[in-house]
Amino acid sequence: MNCQMCQNYIDNELSLLQTLGLLKNQKKLICQACESDFAVITMSCSGCGRQQKSTQLCRDCRRWQQQGKILLKHTALYQYNDAMRSFMQQYKFNGDYKLRGIFNSKFIQIIKSLSKDVIVPIPVSENTMKTRGFNQTTGLLEGIIYQELLQVTTIKKSHQSQFNRKARMLRQQPFTLKESSISLRGKHVLLVDDIYTTGNTLYHAADLLYSAGAINVKSISLAR
Amino acid sequence: MKAYYGRQLLNPKIEARPKNLITLPTFIDSVCQRCGQKNTEKLPNNHYYCCGCLTLGRVSSHDVLLHLPEPNEFDGKAALSWQGQLTAQQQVVSDELIQTLLYKREHLVWAVTGAGKTEMLFPVIHHALQKKYRVGIVSPRVDVIIELAPRFRAAFSETDMVVLHGAQTEDYRYTQLVLATTHQMLRFKSAFDLLIVDEVDSFPYDGDKMLVHAVKHARKASSALIYLSATPTKKLQKRVTSKDLTVSYLPLRFHQHLLPLLKTTVVGHWRKKLPSKFLRQLKKFYQEDRRFLIFVPKVSDLRRVYQGIKQCLPDIAGDYVHASDPERQEKVQKMRDKDIQYLVTTTILERGVTFPGIDVLILGADEPIFSENALVQIAGRVGRNHDRPTGLVQAYIRHTNLKVIAAQNQIKKMNQRGRRLGGHI
Repeated sequence: MNCQMCQNYIDNELSLLQTLGLLKNQKKLICQACESDFAVITMSCSGCGRQQKSTQLCRDCRRWQQQGKILLKHTALYQYNDAMRSFMQQYKFNGDYKLRGIFNSKFIQIIKSLSKDVIVPIPVSENTMKTRGFNQTTGLLEGIIYQELLQVTTIKKSHQSQFNRKARMLRQQPFTLKESSISLRGKHVLLVDDIYTTGNTLYHAADLLYSAGAINVKSISLAR
Repeated sequence: MKAYYGRQLLNPKIEARPKNLITLPTFIDSVCQRCGQKNTEKLPNNHYYCCGCLTLGRVSSHDVLLHLPEPNEFDGKAALSWQGQLTAQQQVVSDELIQTLLYKREHLVWAVTGAGKTEMLFPVIHHALQKKYRVGIVSPRVDVIIELAPRFRAAFSETDMVVLHGAQTEDYRYTQLVLATTHQMLRFKSAFDLLIVDEVDSFPYDGDKMLVHAVKHARKASSALIYLSATPTKKLQKRVTSKDLTVSYLPLRFHQHLLPLLKTTVVGHWRKKLPSKFLRQLKKFYQEDRRFLIFVPKVSDLRRVYQGIKQCLPDIAGDYVHASDPERQEKVQKMRDKDIQYLVTTTILERGVTFPGIDVLILGADEPIFSENALVQIAGRVGRNHDRPTGLVQAYIRHTNLKVIAAQNQIKKMNQRGRRLGGHI
């Protein structure tokens, strides 16, 4: 079996306990070297989950507060470094859907440990669904129950990664609520995205969820 | 529109596409129509994509392939600007290749390293270009393609040629002559009347069904296919013995000198400490100002060996290079330009590259990464020009094994045949 990131061969040697079936053998999708390239976030801003030396609110989060937003108390697992960038390149833009397996189990394990009533993933546009064929966020969520309450409204949505920060911040509400049977009244909502960059997307989504009656909206992403 | 002649290019189903193009499905019975492999992975909503050829852009059931038949829109005014002369033996092979083209057959050229394979191709390519045939020259190795490009450009200076490989940015355009890696053939469909596969026995082509499929589908149903190799695989040799494949042998180098033999020296733990015999040899190279390559088994050996040499001989300029080195091409070019005296390398430089007048040292030649054919190829880097038709091929091994002996015997056998044709040391 080859590493899904660098294509080098992985030697999946079984330990004694695994051979005897006493320990579950988890098949590794990536090699040790590639795994260590991903930087886990250890200490972070309590507002947006950015890696920093203390848990104090960062400048961006204070700005969100000044704008009257209720902070998302965002959790992020990994820093958005070169390794994560190349993962996203392969997973999202080259469309290698099977790579979701690299982070899937770890991601849902952390989501399970957070308190929430409803899990809502950030949607992708219809156009993306017909070319990429999947939503990168729900791919990571495989195995737990989530509610796709949001949809992208803009008719022709260009990829966000083409915008710089200023252009991103100027974007208007990109989502609308789907008509659904689930009421958000009095619910704690966990928003899920793949990457937190400016926070703009998630705060837009949170606005909608609050207006639909949610009492609290938190968020989580794979990378920050 | 010309960009679609003889090609098969991906397009999302929902996207608008030029009219008059032939639209082909991406999958038939879940076999990818680009790479011919059944290696799909699921997407949501019963869609799926192909994992086989993912590196060239994803083929999924959301896409179609766009194609136009090859119309051979060329003027046939090809000129061979190469002025050299073929040796008598080369001429024989060259004539056999023209026959191959005439009868649209498959043919193997089994010629020793440094026999002048590229030059032997010029007449048959010239012939094909004049007949308005489309000609492809491919190799599994990107280094080979980069090395060949200027030689073909010089030989057919009036014919437009595009060079395609993964490590570059030249845009595709419709040309009569195409030089590419075998992977690039996945983007062609029934395009070539003459297709030449250089170094056919090398990684990754050997044993890769996808690339074999790619080459097969890139040529027209009625076309000539020429394989070139100094060390054909057992499979190809079998096809020759069962008369399934015609063959031309050329056991002698163009300068009529025999191949340099592979010499072995038994040394101790060279990974712990570079052997003194090895260092003494380097000192000699340095004093005589001879350029050389050092082959090591693993990427992790490169830096250590390089630094070991730097410590003992700080004045001698060199570098080290491996497959995923971002500066790989620059470093090889520096060696070619004689800016440095040596390169420490893995097997990536075992074939297809020519540095005139070099010697070769192999550390750990007994380790499994160096196959019999790899050792023969490495030995073939030496003595490739008129001025210095011979040189040193020295292997440092910890134990003798059958593989090393087999490589030595293979060289001796070729030399025996070469001697019959009048070769000398």
